[in-house]
Amino acid sequence: MSEEKREFREPPKPLVPWTGYVAFVFAIIFFSGLLSSQKGWFIAFDFNTVAGTFGTMKDAAKATFMGQGGLGARDGFMFAISLVPSVMCALGVVEIIDHLGGLKAAQKLLSPLLRPLLGIPGITGLAMVTSFQSTDAGAGMTRMLRETECITEKEKTIFAAFQFSAGGTITNYLAIGAALFSFITIPIVVPLALMFVLKVVGANIMRFYLIWFAKKEN
Amino acid sequence: MAAEQKKTLPDIFVEGARKGWNVGVNSIVPNVLMAYVLIQVLRVSGVLDILGNVFNPVMALFGLPGKAAVVLIGSWMSMAGGAGVAASLYAANALDKTQVTILLPAIFLMGAQVQYMGRCLGTAGVNPRYYPVLFGISIFNAMIAMLVMRLFA
Repeated sequence: MSEEKREFREPPKPLVPWTGYVAFVFAIIFFSGLLSSQKGWFIAFDFNTVAGTFGTMKDAAKATFMGQGGLGARDGFMFAISLVPSVMCALGVVEIIDHLGGLKAAQKLLSPLLRPLLGIPGITGLAMVTSFQSTDAGAGMTRMLRETECITEKEKTIFAAFQFSAGGTITNYLAIGAALFSFITIPIVVPLALMFVLKVVGANIMRFYLIWFAKKEN
Repeated sequence: MAAEQKKTLPDIFVEGARKGWNVGVNSIVPNVLMAYVLIQVLRVSGVLDILGNVFNPVMALFGLPGKAAVVLIGSWMSMAGGAGVAASLYAANALDKTQVTILLPAIFLMGAQVQYMGRCLGTAGVNPRYYPVLFGISIFNAMIAMLVMRLFA
């Protein structure tokens, strides 16, 4: 337990291998959807291309194995099953990026930005990157940061506001958003970028609310 | 650590894919199925049309039909549910591609709040007096997202 505490007190200085930065840049390109409309060998680096398409049924050019004109629970089940391959593909690639140090690279690039952007210390970088993957793990680490007094109660509340809106951002977007990716009109990175911007906006609303709240109480 | 380094990239991909399978089977399939059943019940009972008319004026601000409100209500309970409602309404021609695009980030920004109250705020130990503000911020984020997406979509 004491070792774990020490680990949290010292600001984490992750050693990022060069593969980490390469993996991080690759992740951005791969999931951005920017390459999807291109032609040439590099479309192999586009998520939707790699996730592929289902074959269609005979005759009806548009119908997949789900068939056409389904309704209710049965149609919902077929649709949900059709989502599973892209979720498995996305999380498989995320796992590789994590293994190569891509998330550590993200953490290192992120940490110096946290104080000016959100008013929380750089030590929250690891919990933040984790919260993009898993709401539960991110929240658990946040609690631990508070219990080891690495962050104040106020900082915890701001950080929680950041995590609460669009929780588990990357995993949920790639897994669940994939249900809608095939019929949106813009590259998939645009809504994702907007979500990150608004998470920061939301956390700052909390930040100023707490200042206002403290003034009111005094 | 030594054992970890022995893993090959395909092994690691498979590990992630297994997580994806669990997410798919335990979260996406039941939630999307719930959303389709909900929409089916609302549609055959005629409630969907009523909701559509009631929410029309509000949703028009975001370039959306009134029925899109069901997507937001669904996502508030579960993100996969919200996405399922959107997909179901798209399949029924009640939403077009532009409208789905407008809704996409909002589904996540105000998504799964009912669950995350426990899983995020509860786990982190946030003082419950801030819960209403936190809910408000998420819904505000979703509304801003729809207004911004209207320009892009």
